[in-house]
Amino acid sequence: MDFGFTIAAYAVAAVLFILSLGGLSGQESAKRAVWYGIAGMGLAVAATLIGPGSGLWLMSIVLIAAGAGVGYQLATKVQMTQMPELVAIMHSLVGLAAVFVGFNAHIELGRVAGMLGEAGLAFPQPEGPLAAQAYDLIGTMSNFAALLAKKTAVEVGILRVELVLGIWIGAVTFTGSVIAYGKLAGRVDSVAKQLPGGHMLNAGAAGASLLLAAMYLGGSGGWTLVLLTLLALFIGYHLIMGIGGADMPVVVSMLNSYSGWAAAAIGFSLGNDLLIVVGALVGSSGAILSYIMCKAMNRSFVSVILGGFGGAKGEQQAIEGEQIAIDADGVATALNDADSVVIVPGYGMAVAQAQQSVSELTRKLRAAGKTVRFAIHPVAGRLPGHMNVLLAEAKVPYDIVLEMDEINDDFPSTDVVIVIGSNDIVNPAAQDDPNSPIAGMPVLEVWKAKQVFVSKRGQGTGYSGIENPLFFKENTRMFYGDAKKSLDELLPKIG
Amino acid sequence: MKIGAPKEIEAGEARVAMTPDSALQLQKLGYDCVVESGAGIAAGFTDDAYQAAGVEVVKTAAALWKAADIIAKVRPPTAAEAKKFREGQLLISFFWPGQNEKMMETAKAAGTNVIAMDMVPRISRAQKMDALSSMANIAGYRAVIEAGNNFGRFFTGQVTAAGKVPPAKVLVVGAGVAGLAAIGTATSLGAITYAFDVRPEVAEQIESMGAEFVFLEFSADELPDGSATGGYAPPQSPEFQAKQLEKFREIAPEMDIVITTALIPGRPAPVLWTKDMVESMKPGSVIIDLAAERGGNCELTKADERIVTDNGVIIVGYTDYPSRMAAQSSTLYSTNIRHMMADLTPGKDGTVNHNMEDDVIRGATAVFGGEITYPPPPPKIAAIAAAPKKDKPKELTAEEKRANEIAAFKAQTKQQVTLLAIAGGLVLAVGLIAPASFMQHFIVFVLSVFIGFQVIWNVAHSLHTPLMAVTNAISSIIILGALMQIGSSSVLITILAALGIFMASVNIFGGFLVTRRMLAMFQKS
Repeated sequence: MDFGFTIAAYAVAAVLFILSLGGLSGQESAKRAVWYGIAGMGLAVAATLIGPGSGLWLMSIVLIAAGAGVGYQLATKVQMTQMPELVAIMHSLVGLAAVFVGFNAHIELGRVAGMLGEAGLAFPQPEGPLAAQAYDLIGTMSNFAALLAKKTAVEVGILRVELVLGIWIGAVTFTGSVIAYGKLAGRVDSVAKQLPGGHMLNAGAAGASLLLAAMYLGGSGGWTLVLLTLLALFIGYHLIMGIGGADMPVVVSMLNSYSGWAAAAIGFSLGNDLLIVVGALVGSSGAILSYIMCKAMNRSFVSVILGGFGGAKGEQQAIEGEQIAIDADGVATALNDADSVVIVPGYGMAVAQAQQSVSELTRKLRAAGKTVRFAIHPVAGRLPGHMNVLLAEAKVPYDIVLEMDEINDDFPSTDVVIVIGSNDIVNPAAQDDPNSPIAGMPVLEVWKAKQVFVSKRGQGTGYSGIENPLFFKENTRMFYGDAKKSLDELLPKIG
Repeated sequence: MKIGAPKEIEAGEARVAMTPDSALQLQKLGYDCVVESGAGIAAGFTDDAYQAAGVEVVKTAAALWKAADIIAKVRPPTAAEAKKFREGQLLISFFWPGQNEKMMETAKAAGTNVIAMDMVPRISRAQKMDALSSMANIAGYRAVIEAGNNFGRFFTGQVTAAGKVPPAKVLVVGAGVAGLAAIGTATSLGAITYAFDVRPEVAEQIESMGAEFVFLEFSADELPDGSATGGYAPPQSPEFQAKQLEKFREIAPEMDIVITTALIPGRPAPVLWTKDMVESMKPGSVIIDLAAERGGNCELTKADERIVTDNGVIIVGYTDYPSRMAAQSSTLYSTNIRHMMADLTPGKDGTVNHNMEDDVIRGATAVFGGEITYPPPPPKIAAIAAAPKKDKPKELTAEEKRANEIAAFKAQTKQQVTLLAIAGGLVLAVGLIAPASFMQHFIVFVLSVFIGFQVIWNVAHSLHTPLMAVTNAISSIIILGALMQIGSSSVLITILAALGIFMASVNIFGGFLVTRRMLAMFQKS
């Protein structure tokens, strides 16, 4: 790249992006951090338009404006409960864009080779300074083509490796995200499903991709690249289809990571440092998030990706006792008597859109002088931090919303715990039953409280299909019904 | 050596520093005991009782001061007594060295050694000689008795044929030793007892004594840590004081008896019960101000007096509660003295070994060997565990901790070195085949991954969703690639690039907007 100014702008943009991620360490600084991100993006785009991307300005700007319009619509209309879907579908766009850019690089490479070949010049360039004739010809090309035309044989080889990587990861991200979106939005059945052959099919497709990639690098032409893309699309589809709804937090953060690596790979092939920096940042961010989610579920990354739970090792303990139901009056009496209340929200709260009612309940209880806190499990919901966002939307102050580690020791001294639409994250089997599929997963120890109310639609098991002994404990009462309706019924009776 | 207890010459002081019982114990340590004639009369110990216990009784104070090598007293020496100081003599009594510098100088000049019973450090080992606590215990008990004496009703609620009697409501302010004793006494008499203290950690003690803790809504980290000042309550911030008074004002009309015990070391007593609170109380209510000697917690308190306000509230400001129960307090105090002597006489041979290396003895000694040794250095053992949270790691000894640290450090180093070696090897392997132009970008890539890892670990858990939205938005940086390509002369490339630009910009705007929307919702209560 010959534009010093552009590189300088990229450096500033990279710093701004890092600041914008670093600022997310606290709620208040995060508000400033977003502006850093926006400024960085604006700077990067402007610098590219002035510098190496200075062709078809009008069209670029019109396209950006159109994209802005669609993005604005999406961002302002989305319900907070739908955040996971939105994030997933946005990842798919990044993936697809990466595929397009990768293909463009391939096509341009062919065109450059053709042009130089017609002029009787060697391509890739031999080592050493450019021939004067070649220099003149390159001068007539567009910026991007000129960049490619100057490459030597080894550089072209590496460029192709990166290009293949970028396209492959981008394509996996694309279909994977679309399926994740479908599952989160309820348009695709959330149960783990696989075509006959299961993971062998994935492995076969991956092997074939490797073969095709080798053939492409060996010079087999464009059809290998197309076929490779199709295979990657299939892998993305099949991989995510095989993962159950309960594992979606990991999947979404994993796809987030992939979209970053795709951007980084494309950055290599275009020789653009900013793309590399940002891709690496996003990639490592997603990887860390996936790691945190996996740890919260006590599962290895591989077992999540391979779908389904890691297989029970023996008979699960039989559960004794029965589930005892309770009505709103009973819950209200207990709440009015309690001094300290902990609310454990889960995906069920998001589904029932009950966060406003929960907030109202919190307000009333706090007004009555009771201590009300929220316990958030790291994998509650379908997206990392999902519950925090929902509660924030409903104006629950964030300083009473606590993490698992902060609150787990307090349950024995808590009078009433209300579990709203969560299941596995409060399952005592994780600690008591070594044969349980979720054995060893850290859980919220709600059963240690004096009384537990579980708001739940019916008697069935949750997403993961694991029986929950909590529901059968002596100090547990089941508050059946839609979470929102139940809470609304409860509200007038409080205070 | 001889231990002597003179008659207290302070007016109204009925206590004595040696009882016949303690004298027996002191003799077992090898000491001879001597008292001034009539020293124990006011506390109910006759000269005969002393003689029966093998104590020599001398007629005058002068003879006693001359005869005894060790003088045990209750009150600090008066100027007249100070004239009797002599070289090598040991004086054990309440001394208040902080407020009594002149007397220290006198003792220093005379060559008398002084052990101040009020300076015994508050550590577990020294509890047996903690005279302040034993006296405070008596004061707390007596405060309730005094209140009952002045209060026209029962403490306990009763339903009788002659009508219903409501229970008395007692508020105890300050749950130190005196406060806790008062709580125990009041509850055992049947009163409904409330108690307040600025140290939230004593709530449990208050509740264990059967009283209700008057809870002040104040976040815990704004409170000073009482354990830092040897278990005494430290001074409070103005906001806290305002809140505290507001709470008192709210409950004042309901209270029948208020017992205040709040003291801050080395300062006048804080005013906690203002004039308007007294005015809002019912006629016949009683306030017992145990801090009267230091100015009183109640604004209207007069030291050593019992007053009745215009609205019929009785305020008792006596300062001599232990002396009012001289038999009991003499017994406890003389036991404290006896324990102090036991520590001073490790050989039980009747000679004092004034070991200045000992934390307790060093702490209590105000004058020694012609030198003023007050104030003492801080004790080597903390008075109270700083806080339960900080306590846990302390269970390990220093060596174990050190060993653990070293082991953890070694393991970490090993892990890091291994990772670095593997990663470095891989990078080198890439470098062997890749050209320099690629490696330039590769450095950027490796560093970025590294920065990403460092930065993302610090992201707050609750902000993971905004993090994903923001990373999603910035991963649309891929738009730069499309922007670079759109200028190509190939139509196909232009179309694909245009699509790329469109999709990426949807993502950029959507991602940032939705992040802003989410973050704007995070509010503090």
